[in-house]
Amino acid sequence: MPLTHAALSYEDHDAFLETAVPFLREGAERGDPVLAVTAGKTELLRRELAAYDGAITYVDSADFYLHPARIVARVLALAEREAATGGAVRLLGEQCWRERDPLETQEWQRVEALVNVVFAGTGAHILCAYDLGLPPDVLRAAALTHPQMAQGATRMPNPAYQDPRDYLSTTDGRPLDPAPADSALVPVHSPDLRDLRALVAVHARRHGLGGPLLHQLLVAVTEVATNALHHGTPPVTLRLWPEPDRLVCEVADEGDWSPPGPAETGNVPPRAHEIRLGLWAVRMLSGPVQVRTGPHGTRVRIHTPVPRAIAASPT
Amino acid sequence: MDATEHGTIGEFGAHGWSTVRPVGELRPGDHAWLASHHPEEKERVVGDFVFDGLNTAQRVVCLTDVEPHRLPGMYARHHIDVRPFTEADHLRVIPWRLACGRQGRADPEQLGRTLERELDRAFSERFRAARILADMTWAADVPGGVEFMLACDGAMERLIGPSTRAIALCQVDLRAVRSADALNALRNHHEVLVEVNPEYDDGVLRMTRTYAPHGLRLEGEIDGARHPVLTDALTTVSRPRAEVHLELGNLKFIDLGALKMLGAHAMELTRGNGLVLDNPTPDLEGVIRMVGFHLFPGITRGEGWRSM
Repeated sequence: MPLTHAALSYEDHDAFLETAVPFLREGAERGDPVLAVTAGKTELLRRELAAYDGAITYVDSADFYLHPARIVARVLALAEREAATGGAVRLLGEQCWRERDPLETQEWQRVEALVNVVFAGTGAHILCAYDLGLPPDVLRAAALTHPQMAQGATRMPNPAYQDPRDYLSTTDGRPLDPAPADSALVPVHSPDLRDLRALVAVHARRHGLGGPLLHQLLVAVTEVATNALHHGTPPVTLRLWPEPDRLVCEVADEGDWSPPGPAETGNVPPRAHEIRLGLWAVRMLSGPVQVRTGPHGTRVRIHTPVPRAIAASPT
Repeated sequence: MDATEHGTIGEFGAHGWSTVRPVGELRPGDHAWLASHHPEEKERVVGDFVFDGLNTAQRVVCLTDVEPHRLPGMYARHHIDVRPFTEADHLRVIPWRLACGRQGRADPEQLGRTLERELDRAFSERFRAARILADMTWAADVPGGVEFMLACDGAMERLIGPSTRAIALCQVDLRAVRSADALNALRNHHEVLVEVNPEYDDGVLRMTRTYAPHGLRLEGEIDGARHPVLTDALTTVSRPRAEVHLELGNLKFIDLGALKMLGAHAMELTRGNGLVLDNPTPDLEGVIRMVGFHLFPGITRGEGWRSM
């Protein structure tokens, strides 16, 4: 069964309900798993779909869209399980775009493009709600990443839709903000990365990052640095610097790598029984991960959110 | 690594307050205990114990009923013929009957006198150190055997404990001991529990064979610099259709590359139960769950997982 991935653009609640309600109702009537993830519209939907209470799982966006790679992996596992037994997952999704900073926005927009690659063949039905009052760049990205537009029960092809590989290569081709001049810079020579981990740990603790999050960062940095030593071209370097609420680690080498598709840069979860970790696992363990490749070298930038409660104060 | 200069402190309960040391790290005054689970374990511990003694010009006294040339591990592990050593009296193999027989009965006090004489003789012959191996397996299987072994241990402890030049190793084949209480009593008589020497130890990573369960204990840190030695150790420990346990309680760091190697290795073993991961640290368990490694084919969650 083919995937359907449509954008629902709405001006007001009535327009939202006109498309969302039949979508959810159809799934509930078929007995498929139905998820309604919205930015505060649970009660609104519940009232309309009272007859299907129990058949629809309602979740608030802020509780659902916590981590791009992890949520993709979780929904994909559910979709594949359903597909194997002849069913289809049905997801109404609405991001909390207004609460995202630019990097998070870009990450979640990449997810919209990736859905078309990752969920192809699962037969999932994914409907993404966009408030027409959102910033224009958010709406523009939505137009590029959804193959269909939804209105009521009707689905129309979206002429603005861009091949997800093109969308991702454009996004992942944008230059990164330069690292601050005073960032820590360390050469990486040996696959024995104990010293490097010790250094990352010192910086991380100084910026309020410890415990399991620090351990995950050390695993992620080790993986990326090992890859650079193994597949890249020297010199390999690690840079570290703090940003508000984040610690950034960037591994760079001077190799000329052109990954053939999004799977090679760790964007696609492994299928069941597939032994793959690598950059995909790095994305699972980290905050936003930016990969830049090309003739001028490879850079992998790992952003680790520092929990607000323990983030070092700016004083 | 948690293994200190003095060895790993065993948990109270299973081992009493005892210290676990590799056979190569035994020191004078140690009166150590091995209940071997597997003939190979016995070969490795006993073989290395006797070999190290001969190799450093110590007097080695073996209380055992096997012929000298059948001492565990000497030929199979170290490829040495013990005859020249017995002929030179460098190695003395004494049958139990001669060591502790008195008026047709086995007498622990007699054992004490024999060992005292042997040590005096060794030191008067200018050996700088001596080691005693006591294979007590025979006694485990006879009526009153456990009481006899406890009494022998008492005699040995009085002799070895204060010594600055002697080490003793008491060994029993676990299969011969029928009562768990007897085994605990014997073990609790010893402050030092001995185990095989590590397969690998460079101060960063230590890998030690385990026999109950069959597998490897990994301690320290693993990243790309130590992938080849990990592969070697995994290959050595693998047997067709047998599960391999990995004890991870003291593994501080393992990189994704090594996890991937474990996954590939487990696939090759899947006709058995593959790899069983025991006691991962909370950090490691978190990483494993997050990347879904516990769902890889051939990977089984063993002891000590916080959530299933």
